[in-house]
Amino acid sequence: MSRSGVARTIDHDEFDPIGTLALVVLYFVVLTVMWLFTYFVEFLGHGPTVVGLLPLG
Amino acid sequence: MRIHTYEKLWLAGSFVLIVGFIVTVTYGSVGLGIDMIGEEADGVSPDEISSDERFSEPRVEQVGENEYEVYVVAMTFIFQPDPIEVPANSEVTFYVTSRDVIHGFEVPGTNINSMAIPGQVAELTVEFDEPGTYGVICNEYCGPQHHTMEGSLVVTPEWEFSQTELEVDAPESVAQGDEIDLTATVSNGLLETHESTVNVTIGSQTTEQSITVDGESSENVSVTVDSDELGPGEHDWTVSVDDQEESGTITVGNETDTTESVPASVGTETVSVTMNPADPTRASRGVGYP
Ligand SMILES: [Cu+2]
Repeated sequence: MSRSGVARTIDHDEFDPIGTLALVVLYFVVLTVMWLFTYFVEFLGHGPTVVGLLPLG
Repeated sequence: MRIHTYEKLWLAGSFVLIVGFIVTVTYGSVGLGIDMIGEEADGVSPDEISSDERFSEPRVEQVGENEYEVYVVAMTFIFQPDPIEVPANSEVTFYVTSRDVIHGFEVPGTNINSMAIPGQVAELTVEFDEPGTYGVICNEYCGPQHHTMEGSLVVTPEWEFSQTELEVDAPESVAQGDEIDLTATVSNGLLETHESTVNVTIGSQTTEQSITVDGESSENVSVTVDSDELGPGEHDWTVSVDDQEESGTITVGNETDTTESVPASVGTETVSVTMNPADPTRASRGVGYP
């Protein structure tokens, strides 16, 4: 761009890093799935678990 | 300040994640009752364990309907009691301490995992819904035989669980013609009344007696057999109730010269529930639940 000497000015919201967004979304999905797996499958799935003196469930 | 739409998006996403983490942990704590391992205010120093009412006798103790307490002492390189036996469908509180160095108290495959620290008492409550057999291992290096330090935890079906102790009082020898009195003392360590059957075999004679033992008490079962029916010689006896069994041998002397050998028959002995005072000429044996 600088070679041609023509710079294109875009608006703040015109900047559209869709690839970055996709990566961040993927990262969040991975985090969510890993959290659910760690807590509900690996932790709760391997009972008995230490409970309080007044367990409700 | 102008924030880009995408930036708003992942800021919001981060907040949702954090709130999600907090919600799951809160649900586990409030909804499922999941708790941290606590420390009993009253510690016990290793040299006081033998005189401590909680730990001098490591044991499983019933404290309420479906509620049990287990006092565990870890030491190089064993756990006491071993095996730990509790019924299914129960709430069990473990109190764990160490007699020497730092040990671990882990039930592999479950979330039961605590340190056993000398001087301190770890307290953890667990619900056992299903019968099963678990191992117990030490997961803190505690010495050269650390890798052999293991125990076991047996969750028995509710109807099979008992805390019966059997003690049998039987003579070692009787003169020919005398009566053999055998007394079995059955004690019940549970809070509830326990019903069971005592099986007594003397020589080839077998008798069965149902007993009902109140919670935290004991009952005696006496069996009397005429030694003439057994004949001279050595006769093995066995008494069993629940998972307990005691056995021994009675020698019937041959002073009176009985030429006639009477075949042993079942059903001629008398069975009565009596209190039988201790007699020093009798051999007494007893075993306890671990
Ligand atoms: Cu150890």
